[in-house]
Amino acid sequence: MDATLTPDELARRRAASRRLGWALGIVVLALYVLGFFVQR
Amino acid sequence: MSIATTHPEHHGEYHPSGILRWLTTTNHKDIGTMYLTFALIMFFVGGIMILAVRAELFQPGLQMMKPEFFNQLIGVHALVMIFAALMPAATGFANWQIPLMIGAPDMALPRLNNWGFWLLPPAAILLTLPFTLALFGIGDGAIATGWTFYAPLSVQGGIGVDFAIFAVHILGVSSIMGSINIIVTIFNLRAPGMTMMKLPLFAWGWLITAFLLIATIPVLAGAVTMLLTDRHFGTHFFNAAGGGDPILFQHLFWFFGHPEVYILLLPVWGLIPHVLSTFSRKPTYGYKAQVYSFIAIGILSVIVWAHHFFTVGMPVPALIYFMFSTMSISLPLAVLFFCWIATMWRGAMTFETPMLFAQGFIVLFGMAGLTGLVLADVAADAQYHHSYFVVAHFHYALFAGGIMGVMTGVYYWLPKWTGHHYSETLGKWHFWLTVVSFNLTFIPQFFLGLAGMPRRIPDYALQFAEFNAISTVGAFILGLSQLLFAYNIWTCVKGGPKAEGRVWEGAEGLEWELPSPPPHHSWETQPVVK
Repeated sequence: MDATLTPDELARRRAASRRLGWALGIVVLALYVLGFFVQR
Repeated sequence: MSIATTHPEHHGEYHPSGILRWLTTTNHKDIGTMYLTFALIMFFVGGIMILAVRAELFQPGLQMMKPEFFNQLIGVHALVMIFAALMPAATGFANWQIPLMIGAPDMALPRLNNWGFWLLPPAAILLTLPFTLALFGIGDGAIATGWTFYAPLSVQGGIGVDFAIFAVHILGVSSIMGSINIIVTIFNLRAPGMTMMKLPLFAWGWLITAFLLIATIPVLAGAVTMLLTDRHFGTHFFNAAGGGDPILFQHLFWFFGHPEVYILLLPVWGLIPHVLSTFSRKPTYGYKAQVYSFIAIGILSVIVWAHHFFTVGMPVPALIYFMFSTMSISLPLAVLFFCWIATMWRGAMTFETPMLFAQGFIVLFGMAGLTGLVLADVAADAQYHHSYFVVAHFHYALFAGGIMGVMTGVYYWLPKWTGHHYSETLGKWHFWLTVVSFNLTFIPQFFLGLAGMPRRIPDYALQFAEFNAISTVGAFILGLSQLLFAYNIWTCVKGGPKAEGRVWEGAEGLEWELPSPPPHHSWETQPVVK
């Protein structure tokens, strides 16, 4: 891991955070929607 | 852990002042402050509601309010305390502390952070507005089903149920946003050298909490959406007359509801070891054991939900499974207790206010654990279910374990946040009044429950009068003593003796390397953890 948090490095990490954030958001939405189709 | 700092990096930014600062801020410290302020206000709102309830219960008979209003106060008290006081307080801690503790300049998704907070006030208004509307003859008041929304009562209830359903949706979205932000911040913005097994335990506690929220909030949202469609759009998910199943609602609700207990407690379990280590002047005992216990508790919390309704009539194998799986949570929890005590063992202990609250937390939360084991027993639960024993048990968990844990954190970190020391004398008065009055309020409720007094009733048999009177006196002392807490915070924010960067002599960790209060961007010069 780089010792300094340069603007480029910060931008790269924020982009990675956004991607993971969207992925987690999609998981949440999928859990919510799929629940309606679960049969007893 | 040794720390080295590297090159500074400057940011030229526009900082608005006044109300605009708070509306538009993306700074983790500002947002943390807003969460904590909101939580404190709602703590008093929820507290006033339950003091009205306790006043009604001071004597048998109906003195002050109609039973319908009594039910509304109980339900909204719980929703406010859980969703608008405890959870925002924990999120406020996360916002303030996680970037400081892991060496990040801010949270990874600052605008999402702002949005997550500003969803809370409208949700709180939605929850409480039906009280006001009822004064003007609109609707019949707030939700009166208790915080659990049990069907079919909630299918038949008034507009308060709709308001609560929308409020819970909004609060859920806010929680999901906060959770996503915490997960991505911990994964992506840690200081160089800070591996996951060097992550502060507070951040670990919150990481597990965030995953639990992501796994369970959608289930709650789905359940209350189905409830909404049952109420207004002709579906019969929970209506037995239409082929639905009211017990399905209980399963869905508690699939969220039980992990919610750990959602409220894991951030506190994460911060307690920091406090114990600081005031014992010893490293935390059993770091890895505590991390693995957090993970184990997180996993177990989603497979034990049906112990909340043992008496509903489940097959015996299911009862036995849920009993033993619930009891198995006591194993990792016992590991945590052992590590907390071992951290203090032969330490150079001093008892400043945060340490006092941490001690109170351990003893009283221990009582929550022990009485929880009693309730987890299927045979015993048949007697205790829906009695005041349950009320006493979960207040030992959520007030002594949750709220007192939050108070521990506030007293521990407040000098770091404000740059000032608070009054230790007032803090200690607050602690002792809280502990004594809390026990005065809730120990009688164990006996009431054992004697058979059901919960959620405004009137009761004469045999319960004495214990109820004692409980009400305790509750009012408990409520009033919290004014000391608010006053101490207020005076500390306004001024007081200057706090050093390392506020407490034995404090270890990145956050204590920064001045008090920390600069606008927490780590412009990122630390290196060796």
